[in-house]
Amino acid sequence: MIRLSYATAIMLFCIGLYTLMIKRNLFKTVIGLSLMEAAVLFLIITSGYIPGGNPPLLPLEGTSVNPLPQAFTLTAIVIGASDIALALAFIIKLHRRYGTVDLDKIRGLKG
Amino acid sequence: MKHPQAYLKAGAAFICLVLGWWLWQGAEAVQQASSLAGPAAHYVSNAARETGAANIVAAILFDYRGYDTLGEATVIFTTVTGIAMLFARSKYRKSSTGLSFIVKRGLSFIVPFIIMYAAGIVLTGHLTPGGGFQGGAVFATSTILFCIVYGSNFEASRIHPKAKEFTESAGAVLFTVTGLVGLVLGAGFLANASAGFPTGEAGHFLSGGTIPILNIAVGLKVGAGLSTIFYSMVKFLEVKVVAPVEGDET
Repeated sequence: MIRLSYATAIMLFCIGLYTLMIKRNLFKTVIGLSLMEAAVLFLIITSGYIPGGNPPLLPLEGTSVNPLPQAFTLTAIVIGASDIALALAFIIKLHRRYGTVDLDKIRGLKG
Repeated sequence: MKHPQAYLKAGAAFICLVLGWWLWQGAEAVQQASSLAGPAAHYVSNAARETGAANIVAAILFDYRGYDTLGEATVIFTTVTGIAMLFARSKYRKSSTGLSFIVKRGLSFIVPFIIMYAAGIVLTGHLTPGGGFQGGAVFATSTILFCIVYGSNFEASRIHPKAKEFTESAGAVLFTVTGLVGLVLGAGFLANASAGFPTGEAGHFLSGGTIPILNIAVGLKVGAGLSTIFYSMVKFLEVKVVAPVEGDET
């Protein structure tokens, strides 16, 4: 079961990376970025799982899962959200400047 | 022209598959832990005694690693500053008048409950899952709903953008001052129980020392920050888009 979780995270990461590399539409690039971010968070959370663990809340019965990755993930979610907000703001600015969000049509960025 | 694109796609897919296989080998090699070890074991067994918070994740986030959380709050602050700066020069224009009468009436019934829900999440962050970040995000949805349903003009007239800036700064100042109290008392920045804050009994509403205060500070900050981000973008979108400029910048 834990392997399925790891496999899902890795698959999600690869889909995000493919989107990031292939799509020329900037909005789709940002979608790929957020997919990769979600995959990484998923991986971190999965790594903290303990078989038969309960949520790290008191009063605790039995063993608890590792609370440390959960705390880190909370940090990472906020940073990712800020990241994506800033990226979208830049895309809005680019659209204003060039009238398109297609990387190929933006002059000077053709590679 | 068609073929290079296809090669590019195939190459990218190949790279992704190889990377995925490589990561999978790594994931297979990871030893599945059967019990807690390292700092996590200490946190789980001692969080209630040392911090008085029933939610161990909140205890880690706001007590053991409170400094991290301050840095995290600074990231939001930087983002809000950046977005506000990017859209600073766009003038506000009234365009949308909002949705229909039924939606407006319906929302006016829902909004108090949304705000109550947000306040509940923030104030019980040390007891149950939740906390400042989550509650602040829920609170921001209420202002975003105002923006969509009543039109952004209404939102700007009721909740002045300056008020949001002030709320956000107040959250940051509250967080830092709470940390400095520990420094003044000689126990270190963001110290909780060691600085003499009453930790109370784990599971009670009044417990956790500085954790509820920091939750409120972060809630103010995140709520105002996300609301400012949304408002800045909506404000920008209502400006008429000018024709694409073929500038002389290179």
